[in-house]
Amino acid sequence: MKFHIIEQIVVTIFLLSGISFFLYHLLLRLNIVLKGKLDFSINHLPERLLRVFNEVILHKKVVSGDRKFSGLMHAFVMYGFIFFGLITINHFFTAFGFEFFTESLRHNYFLFFGLPWAILCSLGILGLAYRRFVTKPKALGKFSSTSALVSFFIFTLMLTYLIDEFHLLNNAIALKTNWWVHSSVIGGFLFLIPQSKHMHLVLSPFNIFLRPFEVPDHPAIPIDLEASEEKLDELLLDLSKLSKNQALDIFTCVECGRCTEVCPANRGGGILDPKYHFILDLKDPMLESNDVNVVDKINVEAGWECTTCQACTEVCPVGNHVEKADEIRSFQVMVEGDVPQEYQKLLHNLQETGNTEGASSSVLLEKLPEYTPDKELVLWLGCFAKHAMDPNFVKSVENFTKILDSAGITYGVLSNEQCSGDPANKLGDKLTYKMLMDNNVEELNKVKKVTTMCPHCVVNLQKEYSKYHEIKYEVKHHTQVISELLDEGKININPGSLEKVTYHDPCNLSRTLDEVDAPRNAIKAAAPEFFELDESGKETLCCGAGGALWWKKDTGKGRTHLLRAEQVIESKTDTVVTGCNFCYGMMNQGIDPLTPKGQDKIKVKDVADIVAENLS
Amino acid sequence: MKIAVLTKAIPSYESSIRIDSSEKWIDESIVNFVVNESDSYALEEALQIKEQLNDDSEVVVVIMGSESNTSKVLKDGLAKGADRGIFIKNDTSETDPLSIAKIFSEQLKEESFDLILSGLQSDDLGSGQTGVLIGELLNMSTATLGIETKMEDGKIKVKRELESGWFQWVTLPFPASVSIQSGINEPRYPSLKGIMGAKRKEVKLVDAQSVSDSKQEFIKLFLPKTEKVTEKIEGTVDDIVSRMIDILKNNLKVI
Repeated sequence: MKFHIIEQIVVTIFLLSGISFFLYHLLLRLNIVLKGKLDFSINHLPERLLRVFNEVILHKKVVSGDRKFSGLMHAFVMYGFIFFGLITINHFFTAFGFEFFTESLRHNYFLFFGLPWAILCSLGILGLAYRRFVTKPKALGKFSSTSALVSFFIFTLMLTYLIDEFHLLNNAIALKTNWWVHSSVIGGFLFLIPQSKHMHLVLSPFNIFLRPFEVPDHPAIPIDLEASEEKLDELLLDLSKLSKNQALDIFTCVECGRCTEVCPANRGGGILDPKYHFILDLKDPMLESNDVNVVDKINVEAGWECTTCQACTEVCPVGNHVEKADEIRSFQVMVEGDVPQEYQKLLHNLQETGNTEGASSSVLLEKLPEYTPDKELVLWLGCFAKHAMDPNFVKSVENFTKILDSAGITYGVLSNEQCSGDPANKLGDKLTYKMLMDNNVEELNKVKKVTTMCPHCVVNLQKEYSKYHEIKYEVKHHTQVISELLDEGKININPGSLEKVTYHDPCNLSRTLDEVDAPRNAIKAAAPEFFELDESGKETLCCGAGGALWWKKDTGKGRTHLLRAEQVIESKTDTVVTGCNFCYGMMNQGIDPLTPKGQDKIKVKDVADIVAENLS
Repeated sequence: MKIAVLTKAIPSYESSIRIDSSEKWIDESIVNFVVNESDSYALEEALQIKEQLNDDSEVVVVIMGSESNTSKVLKDGLAKGADRGIFIKNDTSETDPLSIAKIFSEQLKEESFDLILSGLQSDDLGSGQTGVLIGELLNMSTATLGIETKMEDGKIKVKRELESGWFQWVTLPFPASVSIQSGINEPRYPSLKGIMGAKRKEVKLVDAQSVSDSKQEFIKLFLPKTEKVTEKIEGTVDDIVSRMIDILKNNLKVI
């Protein structure tokens, strides 16, 4: 093909304007991202690279869950894009008389990469278009014209490429037209990508690489009541800002709606829609203000509905930390002073008595041996156990002490243990949180080893406190202690009865503490007929109590707190075991009224119960 | 408009109560003092009235008691948005409503408030008289049991809760003293800026002038007895039945 100088000028102008437009929008967004607070971290480089390999190259999160088919189609399209990189460069070079492919190389590339990927990519995009425009899954949202255009573009690209390679046209004008159609579509992408969700194809590998390791990842909000007014204003201003990571998330979002699909608040009939409330609602305000101070644009009511379970973050295929309940709640509590009444009561209890229930004493605390330095372990009770928030759970604590006794481990409780502060932290009252934390850290830094049955307490004592203080002690969840005792042979179990047993993964234990093996190790030793629930491990479904929602006023609306109990009943198990006192309480509360008449009630147990019952 | 909110620090529900050696009051040293519930609704109502008027109105928190019992409650009121505080220092535990009202009105006289809001009653003594007594002593129009307020043409309309589901709207000219029922609004939470700002707000300290003619005095304070009595009834069926009827009739008085 020969190109006239005018054609060459047109191609040059077209490409340069497309590239400039693309870069302008990219830099505009990066400029906003860089206004975010805190910095990107690139620590643990090998893990980050491995993560990019897994989640970008291998598409691990894209094909997870129910999206195996659409995930595979997406992989075809993405690999099509990659393999067509060279072809595209070569395509534009031909306009200027350069060909870096020799004829035989071009032919071989066509046979081994071009042709198969053109077919797979076409299949992929047709499959995705069928799904989006014919089956229309709810999560994808309203009709998207850019998606339609992209489907059309990609299909046209493949078609024009195949027409050219198969020499289907022998007329010079038709050939030239085909070339121009192909070029226009590629140029069109340069205009289409930066202003739409298709920006993810540029940003998501970086976003996945830069994703923080902690889940959730909310920065410390250090409050100093003695600080100057300027410092306070700075802190309050910071509360309205997103971090750089969060800002990059917003522009990377691919709008797939997985976060909303897994959201327990949404599934339970609430208004919270993380895709919009935590991500997309913030995009336009950021572009309009050219800044990141958009926390006040998060829907407040939706923010209070969040169980902070992190399912949305876990499922995101482009590396977003979705949940922003912490941000909007902190803003509401500390800047606006607007807190639902039931939570005000809870926060007052914490301030006045150091526990969630406003109790002045604890029967269980007085019954257990007090910690002295000659003992190996501090047994941290947590408010739930200490104040018998589910009276049955006291027996579970006793079962754990039975296991420790049987292994010959000495332990004791701290008489001045206060609430870990988890509800205050999750509700955004970082001042009350600080008060409880400072008290607890002072006591805990005098000891070495701590164990507790409450994963919320573990998260706070270990991870959250270390954002503010130097921590000199080590905290283990009781399922980890039990699992280790089993592995070391310090306790022995006779496998129990042949009833069916399943396990409900607590969000704090599985997603935040990354612990899914220890509880299973312990349960499987005791229960031969163990089976997994549909949503298990890090893909678990929240019991509904997280994010301080245990204390939420029951308005009779919404089923978030019943979803998991319902699933457990449907699983036809005999026993459900859990590793968190709040989950334990929620299971009991849900299973009781939901069990159909005539059906045996499913037994709710803690890991400590099932192990202690079968100790040999 | 100058609005006073009378608040009281009372022992929290969770506190364990012990009678002190005089047997006339509780041992305050082991008690946690918190704001009286209905007073926090009165404060919220005052703050909302001020916000509605959106002029140079002023909300003043007035509290009486010892410094250790009241300082947290006063600070909390200022943190929520009251403009200043008046602290009437009184280390003796006054329990006579008229005496309390006299001490307050003595101190509030010069301030000439347009509106005094107080909680319906204190959760510890529960007399429910202070607000209305102060109103009378200061020659103000008064209303009790307010469950809604409206500002209209230089007057305040108050919806009062009567018995068995009945309500009454009354219109009071200023100055007025109104006591507020719990639950009429949603009290706010002190913001961080409010908490920091409270430190710089003016608190006027005055000493309570003693009132010599208290009409009411506690003679003896004691904790209600809690005891379980178990009686094993034996004998013939007739004996058991007649003894049970006797207990139900004469001891428990349920039949």
